[in-house]
Amino acid sequence: MTFNFPRYILRETGHSMKRNPWLSIASVLTVMVSLIILGFSIFFLANATNVAQSFESQLEIAAFVKDDATADQVQTLQSRIQGMTGVSSVTIVTKEQALANFGKTMGGSQSNLVTDLGGTNPFPDKLTIKATNPQDVENLASAIQALPEIDIVRYGQGYVDKLLQFTKWLRWIGFGVVGAFTVASVVLISINVKMNVFSKRREIQIMKLVGASNGFIRWPFLIEGLTLGLLGGGLAALTVGMGYNWITMYVQSTLTFLPVVRNIVLFRQVLGGLLLAGMAMGAVGSGVSLQKFLHS
Amino acid sequence: MIQLRNVSKIYPNGARALVDVNLKIDKGEFVFLVGPSGAGKSTLIKLFYRDETPTRGQVQINGKNLVRMKEREVPYLRRSIGVIFQDFKLLPNKTVQENVAFALEVIGVSRKEVRTRTSNMLELVGLAGKENAFPTELSGGEQQRVCVARAIINNPALLVADEPTGNLDPETAWGIMDLLFNINKRGTTVVMATHARAIVNKMQKRVIAIENGRVARDEEMGGYGYDV
Ligand SMILES: Nc1ncnc2c1ncn2[C@@H]1O[C@H](COP(=O)(O)OP(=O)(O)OP(=O)(O)O)[C@@H](O)[C@H]1O
Ligand SMILES: [Mg+2]
Repeated sequence: MTFNFPRYILRETGHSMKRNPWLSIASVLTVMVSLIILGFSIFFLANATNVAQSFESQLEIAAFVKDDATADQVQTLQSRIQGMTGVSSVTIVTKEQALANFGKTMGGSQSNLVTDLGGTNPFPDKLTIKATNPQDVENLASAIQALPEIDIVRYGQGYVDKLLQFTKWLRWIGFGVVGAFTVASVVLISINVKMNVFSKRREIQIMKLVGASNGFIRWPFLIEGLTLGLLGGGLAALTVGMGYNWITMYVQSTLTFLPVVRNIVLFRQVLGGLLLAGMAMGAVGSGVSLQKFLHS
Repeated sequence: MIQLRNVSKIYPNGARALVDVNLKIDKGEFVFLVGPSGAGKSTLIKLFYRDETPTRGQVQINGKNLVRMKEREVPYLRRSIGVIFQDFKLLPNKTVQENVAFALEVIGVSRKEVRTRTSNMLELVGLAGKENAFPTELSGGEQQRVCVARAIINNPALLVADEPTGNLDPETAWGIMDLLFNINKRGTTVVMATHARAIVNKMQKRVIAIENGRVARDEEMGGYGYDV
């Protein structure tokens, strides 16, 4: 039977964690708390983006067609606008549909309506245009206004600007929060890992004096860092997962007007990401800080 | 086995620990290093296992030049040298058994062999029954014997001992000396720094006296000197 290095690594890791229980617990908690905050901040970003998007998706251009245009002309107009760059969809609301809609809101019957309105349908044909990029709304609107068949264009002039300002800020705040907490958790975790390794510098020095190679010393440290990181990341994923689930259910049932993100794919990605981040920071952090002591 | 040529060691703080030391120790010798405290004995010993490198001069162990040695070769050098440290250098989070076993694990000895050899060794240094104690739970003399056990367990070609009997009562000290003596008889070169006058005088081995970082005396079958 020869020396079994993997088994040695596992035994060393186990001993080390068991014999420094407070150090291990402190490490797990540091990773866990940092990643919980990071996890929630990512969901905050997702929701900020989502709110911004849902506001922006309500932005649309209403183009009213001149009265003398035929149905064919309206059709052509539709495909022509559809062909403009930056346009995502164009739908036609014919004057008959507009009248019917109006009737529905008024609650009257249609035949009476036309007579009540003076015998003619006063509604023009309307094209509803959505832009791929909300920033383009203003330019598109003026391009459409320039078309000869178009009478007037409305797109919430003056208010579009403010809305876009608001959504821009919302996004930046989201990114800022995630960025700040990413930096904070990396700093926090790496300080913790450094302190961990530092507290073992005497042991490392002794091991070297007794003839241990760098690899022999390194592996148990890496696996310990990885295990502690994995535990911290796992607990963080669990907390964030359950916490977010609970919060969004609560918001959905009480603040029904607020759109919340409940996307299972994103959910899995974030939780998996937290787990991986904990593991990677634990292992890589240990490796990097260990390197300094190994070569001194 | 050991050759030092014009070796000087000046520590970064300016302390001149060794000055122009020339020394040759052959394979199989048993050498006492004596001299007053602060003379440079520990510094000299540290050069052998490359804990320190000389500021000037050359150190050769077993034909290997330690000054030019690459960092990745150092572990192999250290595995061929058993060191009894003046301050023991036991691993605080390992038991007595694990501390001694560590010297075998780094050279890749199988688990089963590690177990039998460490328990034999602990018996030999009189630590049977203390296997599962941690270093902090041991007396100074017991810690020293753990260090001795770790140093000699893999039959090193060279054994360097920095005051290996410093914390022991005379009887235990002689027990350790018997161990070192036996190891030396089996071919291991032994260099031992000591202040133990009685031991040096009784053993009648080569004595090298260091004073102020220089070799002041080097005699075969010498005595401790510095008589009161
Ligand atoms: N790491 C160090 N940094 C700076 N100076 C040192 C260092 N180690 C030793 N010295 C100095 O070098 C000189 C020799 O020290 P050394 O430890 O070799 O003495 P020694 O002969 O072993 O003494 P003792 O018998 O007390 O163990 C002393 O003056 C000491 O202060
Ligand atoms: Mg000394």
